Amino acid sequence: MDKKEKNIIKKEKNLTGLISEKEKSLALRCMEAALRHGADQARVSLNKSVLDSYSMLNGELDKVAHSADRSIFLYVFADGKYGTFSTNMLDETELDRFAAQAVESVKMLAEDRYRTLPELSRTACDAVTGRELGLYDESYEDLTSEDRLRLAGNECIFKDIAAGTPLPDEDSSCDAGTQGSRRFLVISEECEYSDSVDDNFTADSHGFSGRHTETSFAICSEITIEAGGKKYSGYWWDSSPYLSGLHKGICSETALNKAVSQIGPERHRGGKFRMVVDRSVSSRLISPVISALNAASIQQESSFLKDSLGKKFFSDGLTLVDLARTPGKPGSRFFDTEGVATHDMDIIRNGTVETWFVNSYMAGKMGIKPTIEGVSRPVLMPYHASGHGIPDSFGADEMIAEYGSGIYVTGFNGGNCNPTTGNFSYGIEGFAFKNGKVTHPVREMIITGNMLELWNGLLAAGNDARACTRWQIPSLCFGDVHFSA
Amino acid sequence: MEKRYYLDRFKVSVPQLEQLTGTSLSQGGDYADLYFEHTTYKDLLLRDHEVSSGGFHIDYGVGIRVLKGDKTGYAYSENTEMPDMLCAARAAAQIAQANVIPDGHSYRIPESGPCHRQGTFYRADEMWSDSETRTFIPILKKLESMILARDSRAVKIIARLSWSESYIMMFNSIGELTCDFRPIGSLVVSVIFSENGKNENKTSSRSFRAGAEMITDKLLEEMTEEAVSGIDARFQAVRPKGGKMPVVMGAGASGILLHEAMGHAFEADFNRKGQSVFAGMTGSKICDSSISIVDDGTLQGNRGACNYDDEGIPGQKTYMVREGVLESYLHDRISARWYGVPPTGNGRRESFRFNPIPRMRATYMENGKATKNDIIASVRKGIYVDEFSNGQVKIGEGDFTFYVKSGFLIENGHLTAPVKDINIIGNGPEALADITAVADDLIVDNGTWTCGKDQNVPVSCGIPTVLVRSLTVGGE
Repeated sequence: MDKKEKNIIKKEKNLTGLISEKEKSLALRCMEAALRHGADQARVSLNKSVLDSYSMLNGELDKVAHSADRSIFLYVFADGKYGTFSTNMLDETELDRFAAQAVESVKMLAEDRYRTLPELSRTACDAVTGRELGLYDESYEDLTSEDRLRLAGNECIFKDIAAGTPLPDEDSSCDAGTQGSRRFLVISEECEYSDSVDDNFTADSHGFSGRHTETSFAICSEITIEAGGKKYSGYWWDSSPYLSGLHKGICSETALNKAVSQIGPERHRGGKFRMVVDRSVSSRLISPVISALNAASIQQESSFLKDSLGKKFFSDGLTLVDLARTPGKPGSRFFDTEGVATHDMDIIRNGTVETWFVNSYMAGKMGIKPTIEGVSRPVLMPYHASGHGIPDSFGADEMIAEYGSGIYVTGFNGGNCNPTTGNFSYGIEGFAFKNGKVTHPVREMIITGNMLELWNGLLAAGNDARACTRWQIPSLCFGDVHFSA
Repeated sequence: MEKRYYLDRFKVSVPQLEQLTGTSLSQGGDYADLYFEHTTYKDLLLRDHEVSSGGFHIDYGVGIRVLKGDKTGYAYSENTEMPDMLCAARAAAQIAQANVIPDGHSYRIPESGPCHRQGTFYRADEMWSDSETRTFIPILKKLESMILARDSRAVKIIARLSWSESYIMMFNSIGELTCDFRPIGSLVVSVIFSENGKNENKTSSRSFRAGAEMITDKLLEEMTEEAVSGIDARFQAVRPKGGKMPVVMGAGASGILLHEAMGHAFEADFNRKGQSVFAGMTGSKICDSSISIVDDGTLQGNRGACNYDDEGIPGQKTYMVREGVLESYLHDRISARWYGVPPTGNGRRESFRFNPIPRMRATYMENGKATKNDIIASVRKGIYVDEFSNGQVKIGEGDFTFYVKSGFLIENGHLTAPVKDINIIGNGPEALADITAVADDLIVDNGTWTCGKDQNVPVSCGIPTVLVRSLTVGGE
């Protein structure tokens, strides 16, 4: 049987992960049932996904997993009351009973007059097929289990690096410079290839309907090594909405280099240092800022950015935009979970807060204009405190070279940010750098501070955000960050 | 409940179960198991003085696992129609096609083990599903009233009551049919206090494998006390000067130290693969003889209790460290076979969508002989910590971290200035070896602890007051 025949069978059996017309009708009938049983307004969201993963351990297949999910979420507005419900039992009789119970459950809650669907004029009208944003790769349909196994297997390097192999030579692409000629033992290599298709159909009783379909292809690798009686691990991953966009054959090598680069950590004194944060982990530091711009947090007085709208809370260097409608890029979407149309917009412009994330409910409750329910594809714009132009290539290496000495953070190990005060404390891993060069790995260090102070100390933001990430946050450099050690 | 009840609920018969395991093994697999789940989850949310949000969520399906040697094939179906389950069984069976056991010896999966009888470690005297949801609304309002009455600085209160009931049926190619009913209820309250233009938050939570009988006035009083106590100190708290110092871990929630710094590294999958910092160390002395650390699935009504794990192994109590010696890892069936030991009942999973892996249950240190006061009095300059949020560990290196929401400086043997929002970082084996005193005041914390190793499972943790000679504390 050739691939085309197999695909015809898949489609007939509806095993493709894509929502069929029959399933769309089922979702709409569930919403109609809710209205029939007494809801004033309703929204229904049908999610369907298929995920296949092939995991390798030390060069041999360790786990094969196939996941196929379908579920309906029903949002019920009845008598000024509101509730959310979901089920994965999708036969029609069950769904009618489900909708009836949902409406009955909502009616026992207290009235909340601000709960309502968004106005139809605010919802998206251009997400009809789900593929308008170009996030669906049709080559997904042609992939076989043999293809997947080969993709996973090709990533493995375990068998090529026998025990006691010398470190990669000085020309190899270790992220943190060279490490000399120390020897190490590879304890384990775990690689995984996975692909998925996610399809969402959302409709509401005001007349909105929208669809979002995307594929994803991913490879990751984690390698554990031993050197001098100590273990070190390195991890790397890549993903893309397109199989052709996936960077193959680099994850294990990068993971190995990351593990090797950590050999021989030294304790570093505490104090205030410049901090360069690698692009692979820099989103960790903007995340509390974005969370604090959520209207629900602000309304509940649990945001350190309350009263921030239209005010300059950060340094000129911080410009964060949401490019939600960029075709073919991870994170792009035409509508949020309420069906409200996204648009490209400023979140923070030159340090001034331009947007809070305000859904229909919070808009009514707070008496402010609704925006969007959350960020889609945030992009942090390049910046250099000197005011000079940004070089074509501006990442961690360039920042280390320019800023002389400090700590280069390549990973976070736990920690938290108090959403009410913005005070944070994170464990870090990385390297010390001096005279523009990485000197040695550091361990057991903690950074402590306040989010407002941290971002007001922004010295530079690169232009090296990883293409595979939904959040486009580049390497960053901050001045005078407090390190405990 | 009788097994017949479960078979009917999932609309299958024993011959059909046997057909499914037969199909699962048709490509040469050594062992197959089926995990049926029907869960109903409900919640109610109080915000801005009203219980105006809530809902229910239904999850139903069967996960099918095939083992060939140590390799796993996994697939699931969201309905229990035979054609769909057979399709999932065939998908999981693929693993056997792709692997050959190198030495050709036959694989024998361990049975439940000889020494453990099934216990009943939880039950629902009042089934959540027997009560109308509306009957729980006054509970949230009462909790809010009690907090407001205690402290006028409380300006925002969010309280959530959630509960679920899961019907679980497991069948495997050995022929074991196991059924379990799993209730769990959780009550969480988060309070924002405001004073002189500054805000601080406090949270209290309780979670039990129990029915609605867990909601009592005593519980609400405890949570009210926990939510309001210490708020004065929170407003006054500062960050301490950071650096390496002695740390006294208060009894109860400090058990996160065991969970992060030691527990994960004792999970047998990490050790089987050689990745854990404790790999190959069973039988070795790793800490003071006064220290014994257990992972216990038998605590009555505890959030981490398991009548059976998710591979059908009876719940049990496992000594990881006994009198300072590393006695056992935490095993699922795969690692138990690999090590040639009986499974320890730690094969757990988030839902039918996931294959089981070694996971903790209730992890705690047994009592020592010191007293809390003596331990604090022995520290000239250090820190006392007793309220935490998240933690994390790097398995290979053993480096762990956890976030301290509140505590106190210790100066000349006395608790002095309150501290908050700091991170503590250390290395598991070193921290364990650095525990120099264990008090006699073990508390198992009943908060809503959830472990997120690839999948989320409910756990709990506990510890008596202990002194760790030196850890790195974040600070100004």
